[in-house]
Amino acid sequence: MNQIKNLSLFGICMAFVVIALGAWTRLVDAGLGCPDWPGCYGFVVFPINEAEIAIAESRYPTFPYDINKAIPEVVHRYFAAALGLLAIFLVYLSFRKTNDKSIQGWSCFLLIFICLQGTFGYLTVSLKLLPIIVTIHLFGGFTTLLLLYFIYLKSRNFEIFNQINISNLKVISGIALAVLIFQIFLGVWTSTNYASLACADFPTCQGSYLPDMDFKNGFNLNQEVGPNYLYGLLDNPARVAIHYSHRISALLVTFIFLILMSRLWFSEAAPLASTLGILLLTQITLGIINVVYVLPLYVAIAHNLVAACLLLATFTVNYLAWKK
Amino acid sequence: MTLLKSYYELCKPNVVYMMLICAFVGMLLAEESVSSFWYLFVSLSGIAFCAASAAAINQVIDRNTDASMTRTDQRPLPQGELSATHASIFALVIGILGALILYLYVNTLTMILTLASLIGYAFIYTVYLKRATPQNIVIGGLAGAAPPLLGWASVSNTIEPYALLLVLIIFVWTPPHFWALAIYRKDEYAKESIPMLPVTHGVIFTKLQIVLYTIILFIVSLLPYVVLMSGEIYLFSALALSTVFLYYSINLYYSNDDEDAMKTFQFSIYYIFLIFLALLLDHFIITS
Repeated sequence: MNQIKNLSLFGICMAFVVIALGAWTRLVDAGLGCPDWPGCYGFVVFPINEAEIAIAESRYPTFPYDINKAIPEVVHRYFAAALGLLAIFLVYLSFRKTNDKSIQGWSCFLLIFICLQGTFGYLTVSLKLLPIIVTIHLFGGFTTLLLLYFIYLKSRNFEIFNQINISNLKVISGIALAVLIFQIFLGVWTSTNYASLACADFPTCQGSYLPDMDFKNGFNLNQEVGPNYLYGLLDNPARVAIHYSHRISALLVTFIFLILMSRLWFSEAAPLASTLGILLLTQITLGIINVVYVLPLYVAIAHNLVAACLLLATFTVNYLAWKK
Repeated sequence: MTLLKSYYELCKPNVVYMMLICAFVGMLLAEESVSSFWYLFVSLSGIAFCAASAAAINQVIDRNTDASMTRTDQRPLPQGELSATHASIFALVIGILGALILYLYVNTLTMILTLASLIGYAFIYTVYLKRATPQNIVIGGLAGAAPPLLGWASVSNTIEPYALLLVLIIFVWTPPHFWALAIYRKDEYAKESIPMLPVTHGVIFTKLQIVLYTIILFIVSLLPYVVLMSGEIYLFSALALSTVFLYYSINLYYSNDDEDAMKTFQFSIYYIFLIFLALLLDHFIITS
């Protein structure tokens, strides 16, 4: 059990790294840094010297090679693959070292899920960054992280968690999780449709509190398969609709979280209220910096990672509230 | 029969009923299970007599003002149905009766609190505050907000923080509730030179105050949920009711129609009734 605990904890760290690398790949527009999958221009790593680059370009004449875009993509793939290996090892350990059916089951599910997630990684490339696929791919990454965290919680079996009773927070923590997931969707949709800079000012958008918005096209989830979605294809009002929804929804999240936090504050799990508050405040600050300072790379990656932390924290509250 | 009706009207029955509902909710929330309906009935009648006494004293003191306002000129004293002396004696008798009931059959704490709110409303508010400051109903609202505390104290014989929270809700609710009416009746208050906020600071400023107090009420109404006193049934009811109230007050702010003030006033009455109903439903559905 100790080994499972340590391995899943390491897996959580790995998942954070893979998520950060995925965000990095997206933010430096390197999603199509390699036009093929699983290789990169047919190479196991990526073409380095001029001879290899020449071969690469002859193989994919319509995709000019850019090493600065191949590196993030390939690094992301190998770290993700390493996480897959870790999942295999976790399944092995769960059957060799414990009889805990629940941990065995969740480990198997994790492994299957990571394979599925790999498939979606392939689809992001083959469908040329179709926004809905990229969005699902990120949700897959967050789910992988959550699964590892869940297995960690189960193997760790925190004494303090068993003592806390916050079953009267079931509904509000469930609502908070749902609203947060919705907000993460809007955030990812903003990113995958390249709408982060659709509003360059804050708190107004294009100088107005009610900018010109096109929700119908902005939230059309059945976008056409085929064209290359790098840099996005939507026109401005559609991108504004996505971006502004993410902002308005942030207000909703803040409101719901304030209720949850204040109620947590009077419960047996009061410290979690501070955790949520600090994360939420950080996340809002990062979001504003993203707009005002034109999407600084590390701030944008941090915005993604803090979202993952918020998800873990909110999941923890739900775990405590709903546990038997 | 008409005499009986006049005495009945002297007690401001509608106001007293609303207070009794609030007190009743306070009682039911104070305990997991209701011990004895007889006890609740006795406590409520003690509070009812005192509240009725306060209403009667208010009408005796204000009889001349009441006569010149259309809202109040139908009251028994301006109509000459009762003399001021008879009304005073009536008020004194039922006041003492109510206090005695509370002292003998309930507890001393409840009696003291009830008499304090009687004095607060019938004398401090009616005689002094009403004519002294535009904040009259804000400060005086504390007396009107007491019923849940009275009900709670009658059962628990202590002053509980949760009971004070209910008082806070009514306390914050009173200004937007009353000022909406005061906007509608502004001219009459002005004629009697009663310094109601719309008279002294204008209608626009009063409407802004109504909006601001409604925002505070929105937050305060969520506190029972936040401090784990109530559950989700209450949360959703409070969210819905407070949102509607906020809608009414914002609508009033942008409106030039005095009828909107009346609508806001009428909704505020439903609001406080439904908020307390929600507290009660939540309490009994959660505990059962």
